Amino acid sequence: MRSALCALRSLLVLAVSGVLSTPLTANPYLPANDAEVLATLPAGAHHEGLAARRLARGRLDVAIPLAQFYIGQARASGDLRFLGYAEAVLAPWVAGSTPDPAALVLQATLQQSRHEFAAALATLDRSLGAKPDDPQAWLTRATVLRVLGRYTEAQAACTQFMRWAGAGVGLICRQSIEGMAGHLESAYSALKELSTQGMLGAELAWRESELGEMAVRLGRDPDAERWFRDGLDVDPHDFYVRAALADLLLRQHRDAEVLHLLQGQESIEPLLLRLAIAQRHLHDPNFTRSRELLQSAFEAEAARGEAVHRREQARFLLDVQDRPEEALAAALANWAVQREPDDALVLVNAARRIGDMRRAGPALEFVRTQGLQDARLASTPEAPS
Amino acid sequence: MLVGAMLLGAIPAQAHVASNGFLTLRIDGARIDGALELAVRDAEIAVGLDSNQDGVVTWGEVRAAQAALAAYLGRHLELAAANGGCALSFGALQINDRVDGNYLWQPFTAECPASIQQLSITYRLLDEEDPSHRGLLTLTAQGVAQTAVLGGAHAVQIFDLKSPSRFNAFVEYFQAGVWHIWSGIDHLLFLLSLLLPAVLIRRNHHWAAVPAAAPAFLNILKVVTAFTLAHSITLSLAAFDVVRLPSRITESIIAASIVVAAVNNVFPVVTEARWRIAFAFGLLHGFGFAAVLSEMGLPQGARLLSLVAFNLGVEAGQLAVVTAIMPFAYALRATQLYRRGLMPWGSTAIAGVALVWLVQRAMG
Repeated sequence: MRSALCALRSLLVLAVSGVLSTPLTANPYLPANDAEVLATLPAGAHHEGLAARRLARGRLDVAIPLAQFYIGQARASGDLRFLGYAEAVLAPWVAGSTPDPAALVLQATLQQSRHEFAAALATLDRSLGAKPDDPQAWLTRATVLRVLGRYTEAQAACTQFMRWAGAGVGLICRQSIEGMAGHLESAYSALKELSTQGMLGAELAWRESELGEMAVRLGRDPDAERWFRDGLDVDPHDFYVRAALADLLLRQHRDAEVLHLLQGQESIEPLLLRLAIAQRHLHDPNFTRSRELLQSAFEAEAARGEAVHRREQARFLLDVQDRPEEALAAALANWAVQREPDDALVLVNAARRIGDMRRAGPALEFVRTQGLQDARLASTPEAPS
Repeated sequence: MLVGAMLLGAIPAQAHVASNGFLTLRIDGARIDGALELAVRDAEIAVGLDSNQDGVVTWGEVRAAQAALAAYLGRHLELAAANGGCALSFGALQINDRVDGNYLWQPFTAECPASIQQLSITYRLLDEEDPSHRGLLTLTAQGVAQTAVLGGAHAVQIFDLKSPSRFNAFVEYFQAGVWHIWSGIDHLLFLLSLLLPAVLIRRNHHWAAVPAAAPAFLNILKVVTAFTLAHSITLSLAAFDVVRLPSRITESIIAASIVVAAVNNVFPVVTEARWRIAFAFGLLHGFGFAAVLSEMGLPQGARLLSLVAFNLGVEAGQLAVVTAIMPFAYALRATQLYRRGLMPWGSTAIAGVALVWLVQRAMG
């Protein structure tokens, strides 16, 4: 209770102090000339798309692919605006007493992206109730349950996914859950040995990112690095893999390589966070700016009353701002919502910095009972400079 | 092809912030000075800036779209006072850059029909295109800032601009004082430790009932008054930032004070004039109260009043507890149950709990 209050207090303090220091003390400027580029517009970000969106209101066969396109763009660019566009497109099709099952599955994906996990599961239940053979629905369900640390249920969802999607991808689903629930070594081998014949780009990338994550938790950073780099070759926009690789480089104190890896990616917060950590270690002059940007981004999020980035916020407080008590509070608040290995890690690191491992009790207990292996939990994290 | 259409793996939830606009308003009488920040990306979706369709928005294209932008804002942002709408007039556009890209910075002024007591804001930017868009508002009037999240289900919101009435501030802080003492079990336990023996008198190494009501009442009065006076002093010093102590230290010392007071009941060292202990430790408890006040902050223009109100609330809360418990203590004072049981063993229990707190708080 106390830590929840502390977390709330930190968020409020961030929000109030932040919002109060915006615009009228902000520094707007007049660009030097007309040719100065202010924004690049990815596909789907044009005003002209309004026509397609209006069409989608009346036609499901336009709405579904359009929503899928927007969600794919969100994934590729890291820009959550696209999720808003998808939401607008799906709205008429998920409302009412007979919502379309495929539209519901996409809606659940949106909810998952916003960390509204209970809502996502409820939406998936509605969809699967109407159409139980949609592999995407089962996969999304497995993913959400995995994030929540409910591995047995996730495994059941993977089984259903495999039934409708086939053995290849089905196995990736199964083994990634197996790897969480105490069988990391065997899951890693099984996934490595999986035949990649006939696998398409997306599947290959998925397999590689899972393998990389497993290798990290086995303490095999060199292997993990290979998997992550292969994954980035297949899909350079996968910023989840890019972030994981950046973390690996940070663990090995290869801070200069982090700067290179994340060049140009400053507008994606989780990547900006890793960049800021590396800049801090290197005493890079850009560190102050990065820190300011992150601070204002977290404040805006706190002001909205949403907390999509609680894990990043905890890490920011710990590794950039050097405020371990607040970091711990944020990490505990995060842990209440999601239970991925990285969520346990930030909590354990915060407790370790404070010098009292008991404060990370909930995560340590979970790790123990689930048999979750993670070599990073045992070692000392990168020392702050 | 099934696989190609599928979205494999998780969509990493860690991405940008969602779409925010920033609205700042400063109210002075009937006039509003403000600025609206809207991401270039959002302005493009709403109004269309990339006139040559080359996938890039330049400053030149933005300047050319200023009129269209002003028209859009005029249709999607409304400010109104109680007796009518406030006409917006837009100034020269500038650019502000934030973590997720460049924002258009649109300053404006608004004139309302009369001096504004209540402001109604309707924020409907991007409501058709992006239901996740929100306007983050900071509203300043008479030196007091308010914040809010506009848009979505809360597109229309009304804001009171009267400075908080002195009466309201008084009531709010009085309540906070009462609540704090009632939920501040450490303060109560300290007081209780000093009051339990107030109905007794130390004679020949044991406790005897005080013979009459008057001495008991006087004891209680002295202890409570001393405690009250002491913590009012330090609370005021801390509230006006004259003196500060880190909370880990004050919390630990407060726990220690309870241990001392409670143990003193079991192994009496100070048996007369317990009000001195009350005063000495009361000074430290005052810093504990100050921590709460610093969370709430004191409202401008009513700082002293709110501080006094908070103090009075603490006193009232204390008084309620004392008048609830002490009559029972007085009635039971002659019994073995009280003298040999409740008082010493109750004090031991209090000391035990406080010792645990002391260890926890000192260790951090």
